[in-house]
Amino acid sequence: MNTSINKQANGLGGILKFVIKHNTIFIFLLLVIFSAFISDVFFTETNLSNLLKQVSGIGVVSIAMLIVILTGGIDLSVGSLVALLAVTFAILINVVILPVAILLTIVLGFALGSFSGYLVAYQKMAPFIATLALMTIARGLGFIYSKGSPVTFNSPGGSFMSDFANNSTLFVPNIAIVFFIIVALAAVMLKYNVFGRLVIAMGSNEEASRLSGIKVSKYKFLVYAISGSLAAVAAIITASRTNLGSPNMGFSWELDAIAAVVIGGASLNGGKGNAVNTLMGVLILGLIGNILNLLNVPSYPQQVVKGAIIILAVLFQKIESKK
Amino acid sequence: MENMKSEYRVEMIGITKSFGVVSVLQGVNLKVKPGEIHALLGENGAGKSTLVKILSGVHQRDNGTVLLNGVEINPKNTHDGQVLGISVVYQELSLVNDLSVAENIYLHKLGASKFWMNWKQITKDAQELIDSLGFVIDAGAKVRDLSIVQKQVVEIAKALSEDTKVLILDEPTTVFDPNDAKKLFANLLRLKSEGMSIIYISHHLDEIFKIADTITVLKDGVDTGSMATKDITKDNVIKLMIGRDLDELYPTRDAREDLAPVFEVQNLFGSDGFVKDVSFSVHPGEVLGIAGLGGSGRTEMAKLIFGADKKKSGTLILNGKIIKTDSPFDAVKHEIGFVSEDRKEEGVFLPLSIRSNISITSFKPISSKLGFINNQKECENVRGLISKLNIKTPSSEVDVKNLSGGNQQKVALAKWLSIDSKLIIIDEPTRGVDVGAKIEIYNLINEVAKKGVGVIVISSDMPEIMGIADRILVMHKGSIFGELPKEKFTEENILRYSIGEELKE
Repeated sequence: MNTSINKQANGLGGILKFVIKHNTIFIFLLLVIFSAFISDVFFTETNLSNLLKQVSGIGVVSIAMLIVILTGGIDLSVGSLVALLAVTFAILINVVILPVAILLTIVLGFALGSFSGYLVAYQKMAPFIATLALMTIARGLGFIYSKGSPVTFNSPGGSFMSDFANNSTLFVPNIAIVFFIIVALAAVMLKYNVFGRLVIAMGSNEEASRLSGIKVSKYKFLVYAISGSLAAVAAIITASRTNLGSPNMGFSWELDAIAAVVIGGASLNGGKGNAVNTLMGVLILGLIGNILNLLNVPSYPQQVVKGAIIILAVLFQKIESKK
Repeated sequence: MENMKSEYRVEMIGITKSFGVVSVLQGVNLKVKPGEIHALLGENGAGKSTLVKILSGVHQRDNGTVLLNGVEINPKNTHDGQVLGISVVYQELSLVNDLSVAENIYLHKLGASKFWMNWKQITKDAQELIDSLGFVIDAGAKVRDLSIVQKQVVEIAKALSEDTKVLILDEPTTVFDPNDAKKLFANLLRLKSEGMSIIYISHHLDEIFKIADTITVLKDGVDTGSMATKDITKDNVIKLMIGRDLDELYPTRDAREDLAPVFEVQNLFGSDGFVKDVSFSVHPGEVLGIAGLGGSGRTEMAKLIFGADKKKSGTLILNGKIIKTDSPFDAVKHEIGFVSEDRKEEGVFLPLSIRSNISITSFKPISSKLGFINNQKECENVRGLISKLNIKTPSSEVDVKNLSGGNQQKVALAKWLSIDSKLIIIDEPTRGVDVGAKIEIYNLINEVAKKGVGVIVISSDMPEIMGIADRILVMHKGSIFGELPKEKFTEENILRYSIGEELKE
């Protein structure tokens, strides 16, 4: 530890290296400072907690995406799953008690994720195709079950969840706490648990993993099942925040999630990436949206800026990998 | 620049070349006259291929001078080399399977010449070229449909299709039977009499003493000088090549054939029908060598045993118990290890740390029931193996991609020593590994065998397999063609079995 600090102190080059290595954190900090200067409203509690609430759902989905991307796969279905599962949760919460509604929603998420997991792991289907199919299926089912209109919470359990989702604990929105816990869990699993280590090994060299005696198919399957379960968690917090489940929820979240994971330095080829950097990616994307909103920039130019940021972030990482 | 013609066609003087931190050539000299067959000898990894690749333009030298007819040249790529009249026939085939023989031979002209190709003429030229070599191949046939020997002939024809002044052959006869080899030599002697300079890389000393005028031996990136073939004996050449006696390079062992076998295979068939009816056993303390030509089914057989490929039938017996290996997972569960010949694609995880690489097989003893890894235990295990295998690295966190080939290979081995494997199959243990690491790997194999672990070593390197194995099985066309006890180890015997011929009495 000491030596690494010494190396960093090794003049300007050392500092630059350090900045490049932890570029996502620095981009994030720069954006925070920039935002604070540019708008008086930015550092208010309302704005910050709104920002955190906005990113929590997408954030949970991004962690799901990260785990799948680490294996070298991709999960395009997460956004649609959020819609279908939010509708499911809204229907369930009005008919069964809250814990059962939560449990069933997560079980359904697991089952739906298992479906693409089965296609990818055991039918050797390309992840892009399998999850693309599930993406349209789930979106369609969401509209069918909700008959095209949002399902509002209408039960004591529903109002409890709505209160939970819109309140804060120690200034931190509750749903952001859920998101942070998931980030922490993912970070620990990826670094200190056999599961995480095998996921990364698979992503960095699938054949070598197989020839090391790892059941590659099993872990591939699990990764998509976990992704589906996390989509359920995202669905529950998103629905609770608005007090309803809508088939339009989670629209294009899969793309935002991929963007967050990539900004967080993960490789789409698998084997590289971590949860804390993905968190930074989520926050960076959220911040950009937030600050552009505060500056009253309309939503179409916002999309252009987002795209540009993604390109810049990836170019920056190229510099790092060349070192 | 002097205009006087040099006595030599090719002069390479003081050539050095490093790849990263690995210094492959350290001031090599090579001079070849017109009308000379010059043999380039040396162990694997001695730098022969690198040297000729510098001459042909694949690699660029770090230092030194290359003269062609007394004029300095700097080929930046193989095209430059070809324009200068330097053609190479590589060990690994470089033909396009879906094109015809003629198209392959004149492939380099596709980009260069006119807009329209006269295929009739080209096919005719190609046919004449092949006929002149004395082999029967239809120039219109697709390369895919040729035998491996025919493909090699097409490679040679391709090299000769240009106005070639310097022809480089890298192990051209590994796939040839003696008859084909004879034909090739006749061709080389004819080309030589026409004034061509030929650089000939080979391990087969018999061949070299038959056709070469001059011999240059490379040893660890340095040349040991050039000698006329008539002034030197085979023994001298061998001594120059290995720089020590064979005993020193390969440790000795006591195989315990009196004990029950550690591992037995009975009537193993592969599902694709290539590997047929393989049966053998490995005794405690024994290193069983598997020899054969590339494509003879050695790797395929190993992958069947390890469960990486599907078996049709066959029985495996490990320590007296019948086991099933339907997947590598099963094999590892029974403590069988497999080190692949393809280190980068199948052996190691290049972007991951040494620690992650070694632990991959051995998480069970170092983690809790929920899969949480005990950091201290992991570090102890990894550090122990790094020092035991003498992996040269500043720390266990270094990514494997930053290690030299030899150290990468040690990491691939460490993975299987991390669990107490009962049987280890090592496919090409020292391919692309420098001599120092080679000796360490041989010692390691020795140590493992002594502990009673069954060791199967597959190798194309004849001196290696003869040095390290106690017994050699030779494969030919998917089956075991013959078995050689230690006293019958000779390159000729292995080769004879490899090409499906009985031994000479």
